Amino acid sequence: MAEIPNLRLSLASSPENVLLVRQTLSGLAEAIDLDPLELNDINTAVSEACNNVVVHAYEGREGPLEVDICAGAPSLRVLVRDHGQGIASTVMTADGDDGVEQAVGGIGLPVIRALARDAEFRDVEGGGTEVQMDFATARAGALEPPSPTDQPRLPAIASEGLTSTMALTIAPSALARTVLPRLLCALAARAHFSTDRISDTQLLADTLVAQTDGSLSAAHLGVAIGVAPRKLELRIGPLRSGRAGAIVLDSTVDGLGPVLARLVDAHEVTVEGSSETLALSVAAER
Amino acid sequence: MPSATATTATKMSSTRPMSGDGLELKRLFTRWQRHGDRAARETLVRRFMPLARSLARRYGSSSEPFEDLLQVASLGLLKAVDRYDVRRGYSFSSYAVPTIVGEMRRYFRDSGWAVHVPRGAQERALKVRDTQERLTRELGRAPTVNQMAQRLELHIEEVVDALAALQAYEAFSLDARQADGREELASYGESVGADDERYELVELDATLASVLSHLGSHERLILRMRFVEDLTQTEIAARMGISQMQVSRQLRRSLDRLRALTRAPVQAG
Repeated sequence: MAEIPNLRLSLASSPENVLLVRQTLSGLAEAIDLDPLELNDINTAVSEACNNVVVHAYEGREGPLEVDICAGAPSLRVLVRDHGQGIASTVMTADGDDGVEQAVGGIGLPVIRALARDAEFRDVEGGGTEVQMDFATARAGALEPPSPTDQPRLPAIASEGLTSTMALTIAPSALARTVLPRLLCALAARAHFSTDRISDTQLLADTLVAQTDGSLSAAHLGVAIGVAPRKLELRIGPLRSGRAGAIVLDSTVDGLGPVLARLVDAHEVTVEGSSETLALSVAAER
Repeated sequence: MPSATATTATKMSSTRPMSGDGLELKRLFTRWQRHGDRAARETLVRRFMPLARSLARRYGSSSEPFEDLLQVASLGLLKAVDRYDVRRGYSFSSYAVPTIVGEMRRYFRDSGWAVHVPRGAQERALKVRDTQERLTRELGRAPTVNQMAQRLELHIEEVVDALAALQAYEAFSLDARQADGREELASYGESVGADDERYELVELDATLASVLSHLGSHERLILRMRFVEDLTQTEIAARMGISQMQVSRQLRRSLDRLRALTRAPVQAG
């Protein structure tokens, strides 16, 4: 049964992007009040699955890495997917005692099995592998699952013109509120932002989540992020007709002006059919 | 734990002939488990120590002193070496990994890890905060995460985590005085003097009818410096005699309060 995830992260399978997955999990833990021990287990298992994609899926090259999170209580489901040759052929058979080297290289799977309540490995249609991990989360709260009638597909945010992109789709906004600031913080750090500019980026994340709540034309908030040297570019959507411009104006505080516009260096509205995208760019220095 | 994997593992091993290395391992296990040959046990432990080390590194995620965790992992390895049943046919590592991971999980649970680690993380956050302030003075501007990581010999991820902790929306109780926003304001209230009053007069008219009037004067002042005068958070911190992180937390809190005050329900459709 394909569950609609609360969160999907689409990234390149680079080692430093595993950090973004971990930051996402930390944000999730905050949203559902996850036990720190359980977070450590989940972090370790999911990092193993992601590292396997980084190392094995594309024969040393980069390719797409997708992470889905379904946060319905009492269990938390995380899927890690690649579209390469898959980890099935390489890692799953690397389980011999033919020397310690191999044993160490192939411990990812046993680690996942030891930490997840249930783990499944399957082929992805058209090539690739999917690892599905279920974790028991005794004390955590559940997030409302996105309504499948609302939006059967996750929104795709146009990322043309963005370099080194990642995208995420996320619902409900309670989850976006804890995940997006962490992700933007990690990305701003990567783009060599100073700490005060990183803090501004987090203010921006707060503001975006608050202002887009109720303005989306889909169940999920979609965010595409481009990381250039000393610059972040964001695309936010899909927004209902007229809302992209409105959320900038709505952020106005008497005596301060439009807070959202003050936090970015440029913003632009793109209309595509009946939905709109808000493009924003933030520089490491002003 | 091992019994669950035994059936599939047996199947796998039957399709693969045992290599010379595998035979050598089998001999070592027999020497230790049947004949009590301690030298064989030691050879096995030394041989698989990289596995324990690798698992400790993976599971610890920099939150526990690595040496402590390695000790726990080594204990798990010893147990695995003692209990592994070579006749079952599955590989040693497929038995040892869950045993070692199980040992580390138990250790985390029993040692009150959930209590200790936030404390360790808090100490690191304080170091990051101090380093940020020191580097700001040295460089004359706010440092990057890379610069802080280099100075503290920490991984980027650890600094990012520390920043998240420092900027956590729930006031991060760095010390008792700053346990909540109100006291944070009180503690630097005295350091803000004449400048403050000047701002007060200028902004009085503008704010009387605005939602800003619901905020305290320091909160308004910081918001104005950031959004009207377009000062950086570091510049605001210098003027207010507080840290940039305090400015950041104040701004987050203030903006959130303003949103709550002005929130009008958005009509769908």
